[in-house]
Amino acid sequence: MLRTVFRKELLEHLVSYRFPLFLVICLALVPTSVYVNYIDYAKRISDHNEQVRLANSELSASRMWEIHMGTIPIKGFRPPSPLSVFATGFESSLPRYYEFLAGGFKAGETSIGDESILSVAGRFDFLFIVQTILSLMVLLLASDLVSGEKELGTLRGVLSNSVPRHTLLVGKLLGGFTSVWLPFAIAFLLSVIVLAVTSFPLSDPAIALRVIALLVAASVFMFTYLTLGLMVSAGTSRARTSLVTILLVWILLQLVIPKACDMVASVLYPIRTETVVSMQKSLVARTLDEEKAKVLGNEYVAIFGMGAKFTTDLPPGPSLDRWNAFKSETDRAYRERKAAQLGQIDDAYGNERRTQRSIAGNLSLISPGAAFTRLVTDLCGTGEIDKARYVEAVRIHQQTLDEALYSHVSKTTLILPGGGSGSSSSIDKFVDLQSLPAFSFRIASLGEAFVGNLGSLISIVFWLIAPFAVSYVRFLRYDVR
Amino acid sequence: MIQAIDLSKRYEDGLLALDHLNLRITPGQIYCLLGANGAGKTTTINLFFNFIEPTSGTALLNGKDCAKEPLEAKKYAAYVSENVMLYGNFTARQNLDFFTRLAGRKNLGKEDYYMVMRQVGLPERAFEQRVKTFSKGMRQKLGIAIAILKQAPALLLDEPTSGLDPKAGAEFVDLLMTLRGQGKAILMSTHDVFRAKEIADVVGIMKEGVLIMEKTKEDLKYEDLEKLYLKYMEVS
Repeated sequence: MLRTVFRKELLEHLVSYRFPLFLVICLALVPTSVYVNYIDYAKRISDHNEQVRLANSELSASRMWEIHMGTIPIKGFRPPSPLSVFATGFESSLPRYYEFLAGGFKAGETSIGDESILSVAGRFDFLFIVQTILSLMVLLLASDLVSGEKELGTLRGVLSNSVPRHTLLVGKLLGGFTSVWLPFAIAFLLSVIVLAVTSFPLSDPAIALRVIALLVAASVFMFTYLTLGLMVSAGTSRARTSLVTILLVWILLQLVIPKACDMVASVLYPIRTETVVSMQKSLVARTLDEEKAKVLGNEYVAIFGMGAKFTTDLPPGPSLDRWNAFKSETDRAYRERKAAQLGQIDDAYGNERRTQRSIAGNLSLISPGAAFTRLVTDLCGTGEIDKARYVEAVRIHQQTLDEALYSHVSKTTLILPGGGSGSSSSIDKFVDLQSLPAFSFRIASLGEAFVGNLGSLISIVFWLIAPFAVSYVRFLRYDVR
Repeated sequence: MIQAIDLSKRYEDGLLALDHLNLRITPGQIYCLLGANGAGKTTTINLFFNFIEPTSGTALLNGKDCAKEPLEAKKYAAYVSENVMLYGNFTARQNLDFFTRLAGRKNLGKEDYYMVMRQVGLPERAFEQRVKTFSKGMRQKLGIAIAILKQAPALLLDEPTSGLDPKAGAEFVDLLMTLRGQGKAILMSTHDVFRAKEIADVVGIMKEGVLIMEKTKEDLKYEDLEKLYLKYMEVS
């Protein structure tokens, strides 16, 4: 019986104008977007390789002293994610590189400057097509799955036979899904073929696996929207009412909720701006530096006398030993204090941001579209997980450079009690740059992407099951009049 | 056999659409239910197909309770509505194929469908034509073809001749007579008093959910059904 209903549903869609229309739209959009984004990716890869080469040349041509003192930064580049051809995500808004200096790291330029305001609202990629265009088309298709038959009266003819209502509902759902999935799958396959004939690393098993995961995720997402449409369709008696309701549902789930979540979170849990935090950190650093300079100045005067002028050319002897010991101890103590206080500010701000993002993130999971976006961007290595991993990789690399390179640089500034000041810099050991580890960043593994998207997966599964359960109950209780 | 025992239906808005209906239609019998709009004729048919749940009483098809064993009961009845609604983008044969499969008959071939369509008088050119181009008469014939292929012992028709032209109406009546001859129990709701008198073995008149009159063909031999109908309709 299920097979009969499924066959009829599929055939009905195949012989209607919808199937060719859906096929044409899928074929026109999916492979095109993938190809265009591949061209963009190829250009970014080429730019990346050139930038890495130039940065290395620049470093080789620089004087060791400048590098050790941090006047010439060491750059760490993030390679573009191959799967950004499917979902751009944060790809263009993340810095292409970070500059590592003795005082900390600094973000380099992003590629967002190359884009127009229209692209900022959402790039034309596979994610956008599935999440926005196909979801709407699937909903529209589902709008009359049941209500159309109610309105036409064919439902009476069908239910006058010994067909269980749940079988009819499941058959409709599966038939409807197959009729939208087939054109989508064909278009997806064509996109993969397009990528296969280019130099896209499709033969890499990790990439191939993610491409399959993308197909599965998009298929499940489309199924989710079909069950949503079925729920609305089963609850209304007229196809037009169903259509209007479905459009409202789509606007709410696709446009309103995902966009409003960040706003709601910032109202519920306001936090400081990054500029304020940066200024607070500068103030703390400057205060500590000044305090340290005064402490050193006092000790310098105590050792070398009130009238002594600051010089690095001190004669050897017990006074110099005492000064060096004190300076070293003070440097260490203030470095630790500075690190602790700045770390506290960073941690507090990090916690604030995490809490706000968590609120926004959890709220956004009300929308299956938002959940799908999170999942797909993370599968493509362009989502929030990899953004956080990138920043973390930068922090770790900075620590590595601090320990291996910048810790060998000693900068002393002192303020003398009688007025006047002085500063000196010294390098106790020159480090071979080749021995320093290169900056490395790898996107999260597939497992990590899935684990990090547990909430998204739960949201999608919820939207898959709940609307079907509602449709089921409503359809079972429906009076065929 | 089609049987209603004290069958009642009160809708959620409080309307009593059917009030303790009792009727019994045996094989080879045509029972015509007459009544104005809202008399309860369609509600009666809806209850037999479990389109709605009865408030009380029992609707039986071949002895099966239509509310308790709807899937089993529906095996024994075929349904033809006032406007036989079919899938417009399907051809006549595709519609037949789908509904026949739903009815549980899966081994029929193209020729079986063609034979039944010839039997009900559909022109050959219509067999592979999309149903959305069909006239109402052609759709009704296809509806009957679906009912025939179901091979159910009972046939419930809800105003099937309404809106048909005289020729199509007459052809439809001929088909019903043939089916009666094959031993089908037929319940037909209609507004058409003349046609009811012509074909019915039993005529029932319904008003406001109540079966207010029931007469056999013999009873009606010497009575004017139209006058009788109007008389019952006038009585408050």
